[in-house]
Amino acid sequence: MARKKKKSEEPEDIDDLEEEDSLSDLEEDFAEELDEDIDLEEELDLLDTDDISVLEEEEEPIFDKDEETKQLYLSCGIHIGTKLISGDFKERGWLFRATNYGLYVIDLTQTEERIKIAAKFLSKYVEEGSDKVIVSSVRRYGKEPVRKFCEALGCRAIVDRFIPGSLTNPNIGTYIKDASVVVIVDPHADKVILREAKLARIPVVSLFDTDDNLKGIDLAIPANNRGKKALGLAFWILAREILLELGKIASEDDFPYSLDDFTSNIVPMYKLQEQ
Amino acid sequence: MSRSNVCSCCGRPVTPYEAAVHFPCPNCGDVTIWRCETCRDRGKTYRCLKCDFVGP
Ligand SMILES: [Zn+2]
Ligand SMILES: [Zn+2]
Repeated sequence: MARKKKKSEEPEDIDDLEEEDSLSDLEEDFAEELDEDIDLEEELDLLDTDDISVLEEEEEPIFDKDEETKQLYLSCGIHIGTKLISGDFKERGWLFRATNYGLYVIDLTQTEERIKIAAKFLSKYVEEGSDKVIVSSVRRYGKEPVRKFCEALGCRAIVDRFIPGSLTNPNIGTYIKDASVVVIVDPHADKVILREAKLARIPVVSLFDTDDNLKGIDLAIPANNRGKKALGLAFWILAREILLELGKIASEDDFPYSLDDFTSNIVPMYKLQEQ
Repeated sequence: MSRSNVCSCCGRPVTPYEAAVHFPCPNCGDVTIWRCETCRDRGKTYRCLKCDFVGP
């Protein structure tokens, strides 16, 4: 396996030397081909960004939209990226800024805009056959949001292990015929379904954090795809916007789910240990 | 599927043998976006000819 050297190109904007060690570890975790669920779970723990709330106070007003909506987005940390930035993320102009301690912050206006566009896009597929819309999350905190999203829209949730061949091999029991679009939470964690969607020529929509790359993604939504609240919010708004788009609800207030419904109630291990 | 399907990223014709993908433009929905296997694999950007939306 390639060592740190090659991968150290990525976090080029981080000048704080003290962080180099922990960063290298993170990079290594990312570069590894994690085929074991256990390894992946460990990695996800490492990257949980829910506790990072200090940014909320620092945030400057960056768009003059309804203050309440903005505050909701900020309070869920949907704008909080990672300590790494990919070339793809930077090139697309979705970065708001980097904090002093090396955390990249996502431009909230882009997140909002892209959720709207994704809703428009997905509503067509939902209309044509909601059970052909496949939504998947390997990340633990993504499972509940995905379940609720699918419940609200009639889509097909894959929150347990994705069985290889489910999109490509008609001879296996889990094969999904005529899947029309695939929605994933994380291109890295959901790489198996991403690979199959590619082979099966199915369009892919994905949440897209600062360290992700666009390989195989057809529509990206720049957002924190690790935090519990952030994932709940992303899918809650996406589901609501799709129903609005389809005319199934007349206003945001008609959406019959609360944000809490969409948010995972899993308590992180380290918090249990603190108690 | 006609032979006139052209990759919205690189402008080359898309062959039936490659794992290309097509979908309506996420923004306007009026134009069919095609991405050849190579461009999709590399995460190349595509642009809608009607509304100028740039993806992915
Ligand atoms: Zn191409
Ligand atoms: Zn368009």
